[in-house]
Amino acid sequence: MQNIKLTGAFALFSGALLVSWVTHGTGVVRDDPERNISIPDTLTVPLQVQASYNDQDIFFRYRWPSASMGIFHDILRYEDGSWITEGGGMPGPNPFGVHEDRVAMMLDDGSVPEFGRYGGYITIGDGLAGLTDEAPEEVTKYLPMTRNTLGQWDDMAPDSELAQLRSAGYFLDLWHWRGARSNPVNEADDQNVGAGRDGDAGEASYTTNWDSDISQPRVMFDIASAGYRALNWDDVQAGRVSQEQTYALIADAAVPYDPDAGWQNGDLLPRRVIRPGASSRGDIRAEGRWADGYWDVTLARALDTGNPVDDKILQDLGTYDVAFAIHRNATGGRWHYVSLPFSLGLAREADIMATRFIGTMPQWSDTWSDVTLFYPGQVTWPSLNSAVHGGASSIADRVPVRARHSPEQLAYYGVEHEFRTEIRRQWLMTLLAGILLIGAFGVALNATIVSRKGA
Amino acid sequence: MAAYHVVLIHFPIALWMVSSLCIFIRAFDDGVLGQAMDRALPVFLVLGVIMGAIAYLVGLSVWPWETLSSTPLGRNHMLMASWSLAYFTLLAFIRYRHGPAIWQGLSRWIMFLLAGIGVVLVGITGTLGGHLVGNYTEVSELLRRFGWEVYTTYYLPDLTLAIIGVVTLVLLAIGLLGRNRSTTG
Repeated sequence: MQNIKLTGAFALFSGALLVSWVTHGTGVVRDDPERNISIPDTLTVPLQVQASYNDQDIFFRYRWPSASMGIFHDILRYEDGSWITEGGGMPGPNPFGVHEDRVAMMLDDGSVPEFGRYGGYITIGDGLAGLTDEAPEEVTKYLPMTRNTLGQWDDMAPDSELAQLRSAGYFLDLWHWRGARSNPVNEADDQNVGAGRDGDAGEASYTTNWDSDISQPRVMFDIASAGYRALNWDDVQAGRVSQEQTYALIADAAVPYDPDAGWQNGDLLPRRVIRPGASSRGDIRAEGRWADGYWDVTLARALDTGNPVDDKILQDLGTYDVAFAIHRNATGGRWHYVSLPFSLGLAREADIMATRFIGTMPQWSDTWSDVTLFYPGQVTWPSLNSAVHGGASSIADRVPVRARHSPEQLAYYGVEHEFRTEIRRQWLMTLLAGILLIGAFGVALNATIVSRKGA
Repeated sequence: MAAYHVVLIHFPIALWMVSSLCIFIRAFDDGVLGQAMDRALPVFLVLGVIMGAIAYLVGLSVWPWETLSSTPLGRNHMLMASWSLAYFTLLAFIRYRHGPAIWQGLSRWIMFLLAGIGVVLVGITGTLGGHLVGNYTEVSELLRRFGWEVYTTYYLPDLTLAIIGVVTLVLLAIGLLGRNRSTTG
């Protein structure tokens, strides 16, 4: 009888441990749109990068997997006499699969030394749009010194100081290729991150195809050149629209909207009109093709754009810092995959070495620099410098992130940070439950062994 | 305090590992060697618990509570350290309370299995501590293959916590019933 009790107690104890092992880490992490939370199924994505330059220009080539071709952003869908907007940004993927794919690269020349150590993390201040604790107004990426106090998104440094920082090079160049809003005119959006994520001087490659005064689109496809006035909603959702056909409303190819064109339910017009960017904002040329589940995008820009307060000027034999990000699967905002910072050398040893070539276009080889992109969650720069981060002192000691963390590790931490309150509660209860279980097992063991001794 | 914790923690790890070795040997050997292991066992276990408690308390002061309870690796290290300390306290108590009687019959093999669980607990705790100071081992890869990514917090859902609560009550009942029978017998 005592053997049965002893065996039973041990079986219960080890069974509880087994159940604990099998079920751990479940029951907490789930999508919660009310809190701007949507966790991607895949936490890391591979990105391949090449770089090459000649006397005038530098070229970057990016390749990454994407199951679908995100060449549409927000769109207008005709239904029962009115145009309905679809494809807007939201937590996680757009349910209709409509939101453009993107690749972005932040670039610095050493003027923002924290960027070389911590990459894009330094641009994630408190209050950013898309965070659970987003500010009441739209706040975009910004650099720490553009605020008087770390963690205070609305405590801006004085204008004179911001101007001084900018002229001292305290900003990040941002090359931002957009599958819908820039690629159709073979450009990337030339932006920068300083006091905010802003476009360079000039005009963007996109405007809005909506006349709010008369509540109708401004332009439509030219049936003479495109073969249709509009695309079809079902075709777009099913991915039956290719890059080989006219899918974007290019400003000089579109025609004024005709409200009497016999619109049918399901007719679709892009909500953006695309045109070449003007001035400094149009510095970056692009060519992006999707095939066989991969994007292959090449960006090119003058080494010296002549816009030193918008762009980082590059030089032969120079070294720089870069970090990458992509959007795919119809996601926008912070639902992207990002990289750690990498060094870039122009014919110099670096993580990514740009090779020098002669001619107008590089002859790309099969040698790529492999980058692991990861989902970053809601980890902000203020939180990394606070007591919730065990490595805050390492940041103060200027230890680079790559010395401590891998992309995979950071992805896990990013997810956990989004549920930090709930996970901490469950963890504490787990710790206590384990101690109580061990204690109770001790009581059972003590009693059953006592009985044997007494027998 | 981190350096002191690292120094101190070697003592309970060594004592607990040697204790487990003693249990393994004693479980299979009733001879002179086994008897010698059993005589040394309570000393190793009790010293291990004392040194473990000291190292645990020093470890709690390495990081502020806010940091320790917010970091996945910190949480995991503390959880496994707490369980290890509780677990070897249990083994020490059982050996101290019952003496050589634990080697009679089935309980000998229960002790053998418990020592195995103890080695795993202390091994995981040490592995996580190594990760915290940047010394990685392949043990974490082994844990990953068995289903636990050590960079994620080890926590249980409410249902499992409830199951453990029920098991805890049943174990207490077994203990109380056994004690009553022993007393009345």
